[in-house]
Amino acid sequence: MAHITINQYLQQVLEAIETRDGSFCAELMSFRHPHVANPRLQLSSPEEKCQQVLEPPYDEMVAAHLRCTYAVSNHDFVEAYRCQTVAFQAHKEENWALPVMFAVALDLRIFANNAEQQLQKGKGKQGDMLEKAAEQLMSCFRVCASDNRAGIDDSKKWGMLFLINQLFKIYFKINKLHLCKPLIRAIASSNLKDEYSMAQRVTYKYYVGRKAMFDSDFKQAEECLSFAFHHCHRSCQRNKRLVLIYLLPVKMLLGHMPTNQLLRKYDLLQFSDVTKAVSEGNLLLLNEALAKHETFFIRCGIFLILEKLKIITYRNLFKKVYQLLKTHQLPLDAFLVSLKMMQVEEVDIDEVQCILANLIYMGHIKGYISHQHQKLVQSLGHSCCYGGIMAEELIQAELWSPGGICHMITEGVGHMTPGHLHFSESSSCWWIQGR
Amino acid sequence: MSRKANYRAGSNSHRRGGGGGGGGGGPGGRREWRQEQYEEEPSRTAEETVPRGTCLTMCPLREVREREQQRRLHRFEVLPGTEGDRMPRADPSRAVKEYSRPAAGKDSTRPGDLRPPAVLLKTVRFLIDDIAAASPALEPWTEAYDFVFDRLRCVRQDMVIQRVSGAEAVAVLERIVRFLLYASYRLCEEPLRLYDPRINDTHLQESLSWLLDCYASGEHPRQDEFQALSLLYNLGSTRALRRALELPERVRASPAVRLALAVNRAHLERNPVRALRLARRLDFLQSCALHRHLAACRRDLLLLYSHGLSSRDCRYPLQRLARLLALDSTPPPPPPTSATPTACAWTATASSSPRRRTPSRLRGASAPPAPQNWWTGSGATPA
Repeated sequence: MAHITINQYLQQVLEAIETRDGSFCAELMSFRHPHVANPRLQLSSPEEKCQQVLEPPYDEMVAAHLRCTYAVSNHDFVEAYRCQTVAFQAHKEENWALPVMFAVALDLRIFANNAEQQLQKGKGKQGDMLEKAAEQLMSCFRVCASDNRAGIDDSKKWGMLFLINQLFKIYFKINKLHLCKPLIRAIASSNLKDEYSMAQRVTYKYYVGRKAMFDSDFKQAEECLSFAFHHCHRSCQRNKRLVLIYLLPVKMLLGHMPTNQLLRKYDLLQFSDVTKAVSEGNLLLLNEALAKHETFFIRCGIFLILEKLKIITYRNLFKKVYQLLKTHQLPLDAFLVSLKMMQVEEVDIDEVQCILANLIYMGHIKGYISHQHQKLVQSLGHSCCYGGIMAEELIQAELWSPGGICHMITEGVGHMTPGHLHFSESSSCWWIQGR
Repeated sequence: MSRKANYRAGSNSHRRGGGGGGGGGGPGGRREWRQEQYEEEPSRTAEETVPRGTCLTMCPLREVREREQQRRLHRFEVLPGTEGDRMPRADPSRAVKEYSRPAAGKDSTRPGDLRPPAVLLKTVRFLIDDIAAASPALEPWTEAYDFVFDRLRCVRQDMVIQRVSGAEAVAVLERIVRFLLYASYRLCEEPLRLYDPRINDTHLQESLSWLLDCYASGEHPRQDEFQALSLLYNLGSTRALRRALELPERVRASPAVRLALAVNRAHLERNPVRALRLARRLDFLQSCALHRHLAACRRDLLLLYSHGLSSRDCRYPLQRLARLLALDSTPPPPPPTSATPTACAWTATASSSPRRRTPSRLRGASAPPAPQNWWTGSGATPA
């Protein structure tokens, strides 16, 4: 295969087209196949030869492919990208030819990426090449998605998920995640969504999970990423590791800590200190661990998610305070001391109250803060709440306000006696709705 | 030379292939047409097609005449003494090119109508120094705002058409961003018919992201200032934060960006007490940028406290809460020394205007009065 002449090659392509052998044809058009290294095929203008053997539009497609091999052999990726674009535009979307489309689409994305890098060394607008490649893929996607007439076996809809995955890869690269939404919707409403090949589904779930994570939808992120992790082929250790990079933070946020064994197996020991710090409530160690592997975490785009682990770390730290003091009425000072021990900058008693209030709000601590006594009162088995004040009553209540609190009160936060504000829990429900 | 060979040469040198003989015809006609279309691609992005402006005044003479005849001159553009005339004349030193929508059949790329970057910068300086900052002489300020907003929009349009980039674009955009930020604060209590925060926001975001794109290449002395403003204006936006995390270490370590990041972190951790306390350290323009988020921060704080401190017998001192919410009336730190009596008088008239019902509620104590040089940033001299 590596040393055939141009005529032999074209004969093979012709045969593949005539017998509608999609996968063999795809091989002949793919850059993963050894024929691209064959110097006899690397021609700068193969058009005439192709026209002699093949019918339109295949002649143009193959010609562009061969020009592309020529460009690649000269390490001119910008030119290769351009040739590949022509090949891509020319190829015909028929169901049997879907493998051809897959091969060409994959190469198009890779060349766009390479062209991008080559251009960046010079001066060019970032993301330009990839964006144009995405446009091409999108037009193909539209053709596939709108193929409603053909029967399910002949439908081009089978090409949707592959194209979506390629588009995801581009959108994540150029940081245009908002463009993923219509694609996700297209698959969610498709009746084929569970029928695609597992490899495609794993890739798809991986990207959808990552997107959910960036949108702070951690439950969905966990579902998708877990699916990707469990169904990823066991020989693809690298892919499993990629999934884990995003699955770990999500699991940790939901309270599941990974074992060191797992981290070691996938070479993700960067997470080891983070895990330790969170479960020990060791804020200092957490900050150190985040600072130490900052570049890695930022490059993966999970730094901000990991910072959210602070809230759980606070909870674990405060639990230790409780275990040390063994009482249900904990002085706020004790928490302040613990935070200062962890070298939290410029922390004061107001901030302690705020952190505690947040933990109570999120349901991590059951109890309430008594400001008069400067204590956290933990509830014993039952929750203590204070209810019954309606927003309407509050508006009518006689209010005294230093500098505008009055307005906040009328929004239903609580009620007042001269000089003091009483927070009411029932009102907060109304309030969340109002947001 | 066949057309195909011609095509190869054309795409290799990124130049349009010359001549190339008679039209298609024959069997390969369709294909050739397609290639020709493709051939044009590089030339569209080529340098030589970008128009370069030749208009050396703030407003092209043609437009001045046209608007004079149609009596569409703005009050600020009329030559003093001719206001009462049947046909008011334009003051050539004050007329500024007006924004007009791109429309089909309209040629907006005529060099005579476009102002080169240096003139654009001069225009922006005039608009901000002599119109926006010249109030209260030009009260009501909403009118000055409308005028400046429209003319600045046109400045950006001229920049887009000429593909202005680099330091020239940065100088103009920085001023535009400052103006829009200040306006977003100054006009936040105006009724919707006089000021639409959504429109201001759209333009501000557009200018800001363009500016940050410009920063991506080359060294820019005021990058940290505007990175910080972007972070504060987009408080809590993970996109802005992610972008900030990818900044070079030198910018990220600057005091302004570090403070802005700290405010964002506190917000992310849902610690409004810390966020609002840090907000007191912001300078004037930074406070303007953060201002639109203050209500949300306060709401967060009250939401948390209404859960955390709710018990039948518990009370919370109002003065303390007011302080936490940055709603106390303690005087803000004195503005920079450059604040002259005029500046104080200016803001005083603004805040005592009868239309402002509850100034303290929206403004909060974290926004000190405007120093006179708000448009040049914190004490920086204009470049």
